[in-house]
Amino acid sequence: MELKELLKKVVLLGDGAVGKTSLTARYVVNKFDDKYIATIGTKVSKKDMQLTKPNLIINLRMMIWDILGQKEYSKIRTASLSGAQGVILVGDLARPETVKSLEAFWIPEIEAAVGKVPTVLVGNKCDLADKGSMAITVLESIGQNLGYPTFLASAKTGENVENAFATLGEMLVAEVVASRPKGAEELPQTLSEAVDFIIQDFCAQYGDLEKAMLIVQHQFEEAAVDIRKPSKDAVLQALEGLAKAEELSLTKTVAAVNLEERQRMVILAKG
Amino acid sequence: MQRDVKIETLIVMSMCVFGALAVTAFVVPFEDDNTRIFFVGLAAVLVSINVAGFFTVWKASPTIIDEIFLMTPDGRLLKHYTRRLKPDQDDDILAGMLTAVQNFIKESFEEAGGKLKEIRFENYDIFISHSKSIVIAAIISTKKPEKLRTQMRLVTEDLEKHFGHKLTNWAGDKSDLVGVDIIMKKLLAGKYR
Ligand SMILES: Nc1nc2c(ncn2[C@@H]2O[C@H](COP(=O)(O)OP(=O)(O)O)[C@@H](O)[C@H]2O)c(=O)[nH]1
Ligand SMILES: [Mg+2]
Repeated sequence: MELKELLKKVVLLGDGAVGKTSLTARYVVNKFDDKYIATIGTKVSKKDMQLTKPNLIINLRMMIWDILGQKEYSKIRTASLSGAQGVILVGDLARPETVKSLEAFWIPEIEAAVGKVPTVLVGNKCDLADKGSMAITVLESIGQNLGYPTFLASAKTGENVENAFATLGEMLVAEVVASRPKGAEELPQTLSEAVDFIIQDFCAQYGDLEKAMLIVQHQFEEAAVDIRKPSKDAVLQALEGLAKAEELSLTKTVAAVNLEERQRMVILAKG
Repeated sequence: MQRDVKIETLIVMSMCVFGALAVTAFVVPFEDDNTRIFFVGLAAVLVSINVAGFFTVWKASPTIIDEIFLMTPDGRLLKHYTRRLKPDQDDDILAGMLTAVQNFIKESFEEAGGKLKEIRFENYDIFISHSKSIVIAAIISTKKPEKLRTQMRLVTEDLEKHFGHKLTNWAGDKSDLVGVDIIMKKLLAGKYR
């Protein structure tokens, strides 16, 4: 079983007083006082979630950014939106105009800032709204058009709050699967895979792909590495050569870190 | 040498030694002036050696970093290092709020998109160093930060070179950070190049 730790940034958006802060308070363990939202425009909280997939356990940490809802504060909001990987859009079911402004204002604003990211729609204060009210119809049609999961929730009663956040959590890891060929826990399996990975990594860090490939070729020849059937000793020797090149192109420390990482990879590789 | 001993304490101690020697030289009734001069001279030489020694130590001693936050520019905490355990502190949230505060200050006071580099408190300072995909915030309570500033810039550049391609639009996978510790521990030890 593989274990992955993921850290994602999620933002809550919607008009003022729709219940963003109340929804977060329902869902997370609070550490910072709400007064910060009025003071600097943002409050950050977090929630940990565990999700399982075939052969994989994901420990997901969502950093939840509650951003001041006034439309005027757009500069600070854009800065806070940067890097958001998920969005929770909140409207107040008792005030249909706040639901309409999701489509008219908030969705375009998000797309301009971070593009299309996993999003859920929340119609909050469902304890105040009648079934089949206008606000609900509008919200559900927005959700259908854009393919966003839609929840009728209440921060007051707690209805559907957990559900909305958990659904976003699942969307955030939808494409994550077990056993990537790279990374710390899942190292390349065979020596050839390790060599492939090292070459790619070297080129990516070197920048100039053509030059990087020339260096790789040269170092592999010097160390007499047979690319089709490499031996560990030869590869390890070539790594020293690559490290020398990186000492010049990057820095000594970076080269040393790379060398250590790559040696480990080669030594642990099968075959 | 114990780093916790204040440099001031050492200076006071060496002054005392000098004082004692000087007093001895003047108070003790020596037979002739040459002996007296010899003692005063000895005291002076000892004290200069002392002062020079302390100055060298002081110059070489690193600024002590209490805490380091290594973050992405969007406010996610990559790594946190501290000398003291702070059970009440949530480092992830603090990193986020630190970023939010920077955004606030930047957008409120700076038109051209400058960056906040320092926050000063009475008892400690926060130094912030930025690159394209990395932010380092160091909390220090000692003086003499010029060297630290240079080191932080170097570390930021090195991390950018080594991890920048993984951290631009970082998907949040912590296993991308293998090797960061080696660099950061060197910075914490004050030995970064
Ligand atoms: N009846 C009801 N009131 C709510 C609900 N959620 C929030 N409120 C109230 O709506 C007001 C605004 O909530 P707040 O969380 O500050 O909204 P924000 O500006 O979006 O953060 C507060 O007075 C809340 O008590 C809900 O689900 N039902
Ligand atoms: Mg609020």
